[in-house]
Amino acid sequence: MNVIELQVNTRNYTLLVDAHETLADVLREKIGLTGTKIGCEQGSCGACTVLLNNMPVLSCVTPVMRCRNARIITIEGVAQNGELHLLQQKFVEKGAIQCGFCTPGMVLTSLHFIQENPDATIDEIKKALSGNLCRCTGYKKIIDAVIATIHQESKTENEKATQFSASGKIGVGHPYIEATKKVQGIAEYADDIRIKNVLYCKFLRSQFPHAIIEQIDTSAARQLEGVKYVLTGHELPEKFGVLPISQDETALAIDKVRYVGEIVAAVAAETEEIAQAACRLIKVEYRPLKPFFEIDESLNDIGTHEKIHFHTKYNNNIHKKAELRFGNQEDGLQEAAYRSRMSFEFKGVSHAFTEPHAAVAYWDENGLTLTTATQVPHYLHRALAKVLKLPLSRVRVIKPYVGGGFGGKSDPFPHEIIVSWLAMKTGRPVKIRFSREEVFLSNHGRHPTKMTLEMGADQNGLLKVLDAEIAIDGGAYGSFGVVTSYYNGVLLQAPYAIKNFGFRTFRVYTNKPQSGAMRGHGAVNSRFATESLIDDLAYQMNMDPCELRLKNFMPSNTLTIGQYRITSNGSGDSLKKVMEQSQWEMRYGKLPFGHGLGVACGFFISGSALPIIRNELPQSVVHLKVDFDGRVLISSGASDIGQGSDTMLAIIVAEVLGISIDNVFVLAADTLLTPVDLGSYSSRVTFMAGNAAKTAAENLRTEIVRAVAKAKDVSADELNFSAGRVFTHDKEVDVTWLEAIDIATASRGALTVSGKYISPKLGGDFKGAGAGLSPSYSFGAVVAEVMVNTQTGEVKVQNIWGAHDCGKAINPLAVEGQLEGSWHMGMGQAMSEQLKYFNGLILNSNFLDYKIPTSIDTPAIHTNIIETDDPEGPFGAKECGEGALHPVIPAIANAIFDAVRVRVTKLPIDAEDILHHIKTESLSFVKAVMN
Amino acid sequence: MKVENKYLQPLTIEEALTMAAHSENDFRFLAGGTDVMVNRFQENENSSCLIDLSGIDELKQVKKERDYLSIGALITLNNLKEYREITSEFPVLIEAADAVGSPLIRKSATLGGNILCENRCIFYNQSAWWRNAVGFCLKCEGNICIATGSKKHCYSEFVSDIAPALISMDALIDIVDKDGERRIKLEDLYTGDGVRPRNMSKTCIVKSILLRLNQRFISVFNKLRQRESIEFTSLTAVVTTNKHGKIKIVLGGVDPRPVVVEGTSANDSEELIKQAIKKSRAIDNEMFSRNYRREMAGVFLKRSFDEIFSGAVTNNS
Repeated sequence: MNVIELQVNTRNYTLLVDAHETLADVLREKIGLTGTKIGCEQGSCGACTVLLNNMPVLSCVTPVMRCRNARIITIEGVAQNGELHLLQQKFVEKGAIQCGFCTPGMVLTSLHFIQENPDATIDEIKKALSGNLCRCTGYKKIIDAVIATIHQESKTENEKATQFSASGKIGVGHPYIEATKKVQGIAEYADDIRIKNVLYCKFLRSQFPHAIIEQIDTSAARQLEGVKYVLTGHELPEKFGVLPISQDETALAIDKVRYVGEIVAAVAAETEEIAQAACRLIKVEYRPLKPFFEIDESLNDIGTHEKIHFHTKYNNNIHKKAELRFGNQEDGLQEAAYRSRMSFEFKGVSHAFTEPHAAVAYWDENGLTLTTATQVPHYLHRALAKVLKLPLSRVRVIKPYVGGGFGGKSDPFPHEIIVSWLAMKTGRPVKIRFSREEVFLSNHGRHPTKMTLEMGADQNGLLKVLDAEIAIDGGAYGSFGVVTSYYNGVLLQAPYAIKNFGFRTFRVYTNKPQSGAMRGHGAVNSRFATESLIDDLAYQMNMDPCELRLKNFMPSNTLTIGQYRITSNGSGDSLKKVMEQSQWEMRYGKLPFGHGLGVACGFFISGSALPIIRNELPQSVVHLKVDFDGRVLISSGASDIGQGSDTMLAIIVAEVLGISIDNVFVLAADTLLTPVDLGSYSSRVTFMAGNAAKTAAENLRTEIVRAVAKAKDVSADELNFSAGRVFTHDKEVDVTWLEAIDIATASRGALTVSGKYISPKLGGDFKGAGAGLSPSYSFGAVVAEVMVNTQTGEVKVQNIWGAHDCGKAINPLAVEGQLEGSWHMGMGQAMSEQLKYFNGLILNSNFLDYKIPTSIDTPAIHTNIIETDDPEGPFGAKECGEGALHPVIPAIANAIFDAVRVRVTKLPIDAEDILHHIKTESLSFVKAVMN
Repeated sequence: MKVENKYLQPLTIEEALTMAAHSENDFRFLAGGTDVMVNRFQENENSSCLIDLSGIDELKQVKKERDYLSIGALITLNNLKEYREITSEFPVLIEAADAVGSPLIRKSATLGGNILCENRCIFYNQSAWWRNAVGFCLKCEGNICIATGSKKHCYSEFVSDIAPALISMDALIDIVDKDGERRIKLEDLYTGDGVRPRNMSKTCIVKSILLRLNQRFISVFNKLRQRESIEFTSLTAVVTTNKHGKIKIVLGGVDPRPVVVEGTSANDSEELIKQAIKKSRAIDNEMFSRNYRREMAGVFLKRSFDEIFSGAVTNNS
């Protein structure tokens, strides 16, 4: 050990450090400045950036000994005396902060950059930020913030803008209510929580994809000094899973392992190092079984080999078969003058949120408390009670700030169950944090998929038939897979009216980390296929692909063939918007060889109408409390994971009550303190929790109206709530909010009210009718522009014009952020992201080889919000966080077709493949000659 | 018994060499650290002693030495562009440096560190746990290459972006160890053996890189990568000509060492390109396939020749 002195944020420290410790670890663990985030441990993501002698460095690869006597600035040292730096203000105002996990690194990198380059251009800014990965924003608003700082917008203008939005009006962009916390590195994420006397947990993970566990010897590990508990699978035999119909996972492997990375043993010890050392002392004897890695292997009869799960029906590894048919596909094909049939293959992709999973559990007189990076505190609450055999009343799940989820934190996870159990058994708090590699090993990402799709259209360009045969690779366990199986098919029944519509999906188990729900859940790949076929049909019939789509859109207020109730529908508006902006009619099909435009549309649910666990509970309940101080406390179980749902709730309540958002406080996602909300999945939160909040606020207003009307002797329906006042039309009565609260709380005290949301009963009377039912649906369109290098096959996306029908943008700043993030994430799947395997091991479980597009790789994004006023959404709102992802991928692929006449049938798009096709396909020759 | 971790910070080369001599081979020199620290995280580098050279000022100088410009090995990639002698005479060096990693990496990474950057392979640059699960490969004391099944040869890729640019300009390096200083051609540093890619003992320090002045180098640099930032190279291709009509092709990322082909303007460029591709022993050990990288070598080189001979690139010095 060494003693070093260093200065951090102007304070001098003398510290005892290990000679090889990194600066990041010392800042976080020894100094307690947890604003410095660790996202990848390998210098690839930039979350750990700090200034070392005024130079940005990646603190995760900087030895702390190098910082002897150095001056270090962390994110906590950027604001001065409680006042944000101008750059921080701009990050807040421009909506550059979503989950906030990359923010500290982004701010410090930008801060240094603008000091050195006060006149920087957008391209220079993009380049400067290209070592800092952001998974939420698509970088657009981050770049906006940096530019705005450079331009030093005049202060008075600023103040105006801030004041305007501070009131929290529906439809006026508002920064996240927690943005100032995130921009200063103060917001606590799961791994930032410091609890005294904590034990650290580490896992021994399987190195076999499929094997029988013959024996586990933990004796040496138990004897290691500092080890408090060694846990193996048999102690926790109860199965769990997010869906009641696939409870196929145990907290640790029992008797057999099903993927490389599965947890076989867990150790709780005084330090992480001891826990790690103890894991290495555990001896496991395995008897390898034949592993199944590919979809085709798992679809077939497996002979005398052992199945992955015993509970599957036949002698294969098929987990779920989902099939629905409407009309008659044969008839449809007969009617079709033009047909297109293609097969596609999609690699698995992962959420790659920047914050690795982390959790801390403790046990006290109230039972278990688990603070964890989750999107679904409620389902986790239930899973913990089930597996740990605890009464529901003894489990409390708290969601702290979460560094992105995108579906990757929407299952109950083994590590959450394990640390809870270890805390119970040891009587001490127990903490876990994942390495980036472990995050990838846990996966739950988008299913690798193979599918064949056939569509047909008649002479007039009316779509007559869609038939899909789909197989998805679920990996070792069920997760959301049954839902995914259905979504792959059912979500193709709109936005186009197709009478003869059918699909069949097989989900198979394989010996890989499980697949699950990821942004745009289920239908991203099949949407890609559909939009590619439509593009092909348009090409065949020599019709503009936009025209073909416009002809086939279903109207508003209709039922789909599978009896989804479509209410507002902005398909046409969305498509027309992006056509206009991209100068589609002037440019499509007319660009030189290698340069192209492509279009695609999308469709998604706005919250699943059916709860995962069938019961009579509302899907969301919001409580409001107002006391003598006039502040309204919103209690909601809704989980803000960076998408801005806390702010959405605050805006809605402030709007209904006509008060400033400053008078509203959000308490969220704590299963002891807040009423149940089912979680952040299926794009349900704005619609459901938003509606519950609106109802609650209306109920509170009614109570206040009653009291004020009585006290002032006016009619209740004459009272208005606006601009912090309660008044009659004629201003005869005109009291401040606080005076109104004085009246309402007199001799009664704090008012508490409740609001709830329950979906209407929807859907048809047939098996599978419930899949994809939603009280409302979102629509959208994207035009992408690409350049294809005809010598190398490399594709560069030049522009993305996107439009999305979100019903009504409650917080346009947040909606834009969701759209831009969706398009960026879709572009990642299109261009560079994939999970690559070798014998069941993920080959690229790091941020160097799992390739999230950087700021330079991200083209100009042109964002359009389309508003259609949904009749049931809160103030007309519906989802915006997932559906926008769907059209961007096929739009890019269709642009490649326009550019070089190559049809993309595999994702990610592979330069080698494109080049091969350019060389071999005669079509390219034709177009080249024509040009 | 675990050896105590040490971190030494010499202020002179002399001191660094003495420290190394006293460290019984269980040490590693550290420059910027962006490569070594990641390899340490993955436990491919486990020395108990790190000797941090970043405090040695004599390794950070740029000076003229007769016909040569001597560039200190410890200059960071980000700082190279601060030297007018470099930007004016050897702009391709700036271009190559700018292609390395990300802007954050370039603020720590050094010129010397980049040319000594460890060879890479997707089956090697993994955590110890991962390598243990797959079976250790030749490059980490195992007995088989995971990528090819070979029991003899390791084809981990040479991934420096800067060395190919330097070699194309016939760079020399000054190496010091306790026996003194020697000057070699940079290209002679590399062995072609993926396990031990450099024929330089770890007790040596690369002191400076030397480039001959007034050669009127004209260079074209290309790097194949999936993203525009962060990436190691999948193929680096540099073509440089000088005032005497000499042509030098250097490829990185397609072989355990830089692939070098020399010729003159009298040679058929197609022939030189063919030779370069033929010499590349690329294997399937990264995200782009072997075939594609070899094919792209041809495309990049042809494009480079076209640009040079069409006069599209010039040297303004």
